[in-house]
Amino acid sequence: MDASALNNPRLKAMIEEERTKAMANELVAKLTFLCWDKCVTGSVGSSFSRSETSCLSNCAKRFSEVKMMTMQRFTGRS
Amino acid sequence: MDSFSSSLPSSGPGANPDAVMEQIKAQLAQAYAQEFLETVGNKCFEKCVTKPGSSLSGSESSCISRCVDRYIEATGIVSRALFSSQR
Repeated sequence: MDASALNNPRLKAMIEEERTKAMANELVAKLTFLCWDKCVTGSVGSSFSRSETSCLSNCAKRFSEVKMMTMQRFTGRS
Repeated sequence: MDSFSSSLPSSGPGANPDAVMEQIKAQLAQAYAQEFLETVGNKCFEKCVTKPGSSLSGSESSCISRCVDRYIEATGIVSRALFSSQR
């Protein structure tokens, strides 16, 4: 790809938007991967139980908190 | 992502940004779908095929169908928990 095409500010903005979306998708994929193992422990049913559903939801939210905590700890503010 | 950038259309200064973006979006979507399929395949193999036999049993097959549906549902639950809940 000719690098001069990247001087187009509209193209840059569109690429940046796709980059943000891709990063969000990657986070969702990673968390689903992790939380599936934590929350879907027994056999697979034809729907999730209420506890499985809330486990998955809690798992995602707690992960965000852990991420924040580890960053704060690492940078010396806890 | 080297193979990704080398497969973009060669575009000069007059290239149409919308066409370039459509190509980028299509390739991103395809890469995402491939990765998703691989992940789901692995997870559901772990879940459903505990003792591999000489062929997939009926219960293993239906387990895999349910597992794929559940994994898609789980993706939605995680996505909403991350991006649409307000504290």
